[in-house]
Amino acid sequence: MATEMLGMILAGGQGTRLGKLTKNTAKPSVPFGGRYRIIDFTLSNLANSEVNTVGVITQYQPLELNRHIQNGASWGLNDKDAGVTILQPYASSEGEKFFEGTAHAIYQNIAYIDSYAPRYLLVLSGDHIYKMDYRRMLAFHKQKKAALTVGVMPVAKSEASRFGIMNTDDTDRIIQFEEKPKAPKSNLASMGIYIFDWQILRQYLIASYATDSQLEDFGKDVIPTYLAHNEATFAYAFNGYWKDVGTIQSLWEANMEFLSPHNPLNIGDRNWRIYSQVSALPPMFLTASAHVRRAMVVDGDYIAGTVTHSILSQNVKIGEGAVIKDSMLMPNVVIGKNVVVDHAIIGENAIVGDGGEVIGKPDDIAVVGYGEILGRKEKE
Amino acid sequence: MKTGVVTAVIDLNEPDEALRPLTEFRPIGTLPFAGRYRLIDFPLSAIDNASIKSVGLFLPRSGRSVQDHLRSGAAWNLDALQGGVFTFPYIAEKDYDSPIVRSRYYDDYIQFLRKSDTQYTVIMGTSNVANIDINAVMAYHRLGNSRITTVYKQVNRNLVEANDWTLELSELGTTSSVVLAKNHHGDPNTEKLPLFMDVYFLETQDLIDMLVSASEAPNFRHLSQLLREAVLENNANAFEYTGYLSPITSIPRYFAANMAMLDENNYQALLFSSRPIQTKSKNEVPTFLAGDSRIESSLLGTGGYIEGEIDHSVIFRNVVVHRDAVVSHSIIMQGSKVSAGSTVRYAILDKGVVIGPNLTLEGTPEKPLIFSKNQRVFQAQGVRA
Repeated sequence: MATEMLGMILAGGQGTRLGKLTKNTAKPSVPFGGRYRIIDFTLSNLANSEVNTVGVITQYQPLELNRHIQNGASWGLNDKDAGVTILQPYASSEGEKFFEGTAHAIYQNIAYIDSYAPRYLLVLSGDHIYKMDYRRMLAFHKQKKAALTVGVMPVAKSEASRFGIMNTDDTDRIIQFEEKPKAPKSNLASMGIYIFDWQILRQYLIASYATDSQLEDFGKDVIPTYLAHNEATFAYAFNGYWKDVGTIQSLWEANMEFLSPHNPLNIGDRNWRIYSQVSALPPMFLTASAHVRRAMVVDGDYIAGTVTHSILSQNVKIGEGAVIKDSMLMPNVVIGKNVVVDHAIIGENAIVGDGGEVIGKPDDIAVVGYGEILGRKEKE
Repeated sequence: MKTGVVTAVIDLNEPDEALRPLTEFRPIGTLPFAGRYRLIDFPLSAIDNASIKSVGLFLPRSGRSVQDHLRSGAAWNLDALQGGVFTFPYIAEKDYDSPIVRSRYYDDYIQFLRKSDTQYTVIMGTSNVANIDINAVMAYHRLGNSRITTVYKQVNRNLVEANDWTLELSELGTTSSVVLAKNHHGDPNTEKLPLFMDVYFLETQDLIDMLVSASEAPNFRHLSQLLREAVLENNANAFEYTGYLSPITSIPRYFAANMAMLDENNYQALLFSSRPIQTKSKNEVPTFLAGDSRIESSLLGTGGYIEGEIDHSVIFRNVVVHRDAVVSHSIIMQGSKVSAGSTVRYAILDKGVVIGPNLTLEGTPEKPLIFSKNQRVFQAQGVRA
């Protein structure tokens, strides 16, 4: 069983910066854009790029993620000899195999990867919103005869000190990597997307875990090691829409950008569809008292109130007289009568009782956690 | 018995003349309904909700829409290792004169029923929007004295049409015959009539015996006729259904049934009960309602893009309504588009219809305008109900 390029999604992180939204679920399974979960973008990119063999490494609160991915059929990733495999930490005769870092997680799954004997390993994180054809990056990797290609994104110079920055020569070869530099020399930020020549990475990992100099993390350990050993390491620049949704603020912003009909992500493009697990819910119902504008609504929604510049996920109920503004409501949220929700993210299955208020500010988004139940006035 | 207790049979060949042109290229079973569904979703969901695993589908002349909707049957949990959906090809009525084709008709049923090997079989039509609990029908059947059970609903007489099938109920509450409403013998002053819901429940072996003996007869009799004869011979148990029902046998009924879903009580009763209605799911993007849109008292599917005004309408997925367009009291099926400045009232747009800009197209509640699949309309002239 030989696969040219195997995809590995690192979906095990806790996502602490999403606060109560990831208290009981992994970040990649957080709902996004009304009909999706964050990992749908990565999984759909893989399917659309014809990378049909994918390992999803999970660790933190994986239940919802596992249920979402199932056998991969929702993304067409259920080929008989390929498809999605969920890779969880396990106990073995050598001890527990919990993942200490991104590279360590790959090390722990060498047996899985070897079973497909891939020439290339595509390592991705499951928490970015973007559309990307990985085949183009692979073509670049081959053309450069690289041992490692890092996907990079040009960011504003003023922002560059928040990212891992790649300094390149004029052949795109990476000559220096700086994690969150105070005085950035370039604006090419790592997207956490890597193509490795598998055999080379495999040797480095095995050698390092045979000693004390263990390669735990791709950014902190592996890239510097590759550079130190003069391995051919290149930067592949991506110019499309790409958004890290690791914080409450960025998750809210990405949803608001998604809402714009001019969003460069172009979700309606039928040549690069984003797939998700879909369920058969009744069509949305807008009553005589509904006022819905500049909003995204989906099946199962019932709207009797006012919704402006907001995204409603599946099965959301909005009571009469309620006003929802500049907010993102996750699946199965129930909003009572005369509720005000403004600049907020409401977690799955949360209930805001009649007359309740959830009010945030553009730079301080209010959050209601999964399954939280708010009574009449929240602020009292 | 690996395939459970009940086998289901659906024959998609149903009289559809009164639903043309909507049924020109599709059977009644795949008529779109309520912004999301096809009529066959209602019997299939009843089958799923009763955990029935073995279903025989007899395909209509144009089976494409059925196959496309059904796929593996996974949406109704029918992609099972044990059982599943079995489709049987269309046989033209005129070919039944040939004894070979005639015997194939019965043989398809007999082979399928023998293979399913369940104690009971339920036979359902696709032209009734309802949410039937087949397990309750089975429980009733087991308590009854007759070998066959019929399902009906008491419906206000003014809602029953002359060519609807009704039940003659005996004083014991059993069905003595299945007759057209115009031939019904009951007291003409009663407010209600027992409308037959095109559902029979019986022992599989009895059904096989019925089919075997029919296959040996010199003339062709359709299964529906055999079943009506069986009711005449044995009397049938009469199971009264009291839930939501909309029979779809004509354009006015089809239009009214869709509009009825805009009544919140009907929408909740039919679609949000403890027995969910399943359908094929599509990967569609959310519907975007633009800044100047105004939408009220309407159902909307996903993937839509709405800039104009919509009221009292049923809008399927992937519909575009442009600026200053008005859609009122209408059914707009998947992929249709109403261009800027146009008004559409009391109309049914089949899939993929394009209405050009600045047109006014109005039907009436009794006679909605109908636009056929993929029709392009660029002038109001010549458009008639």
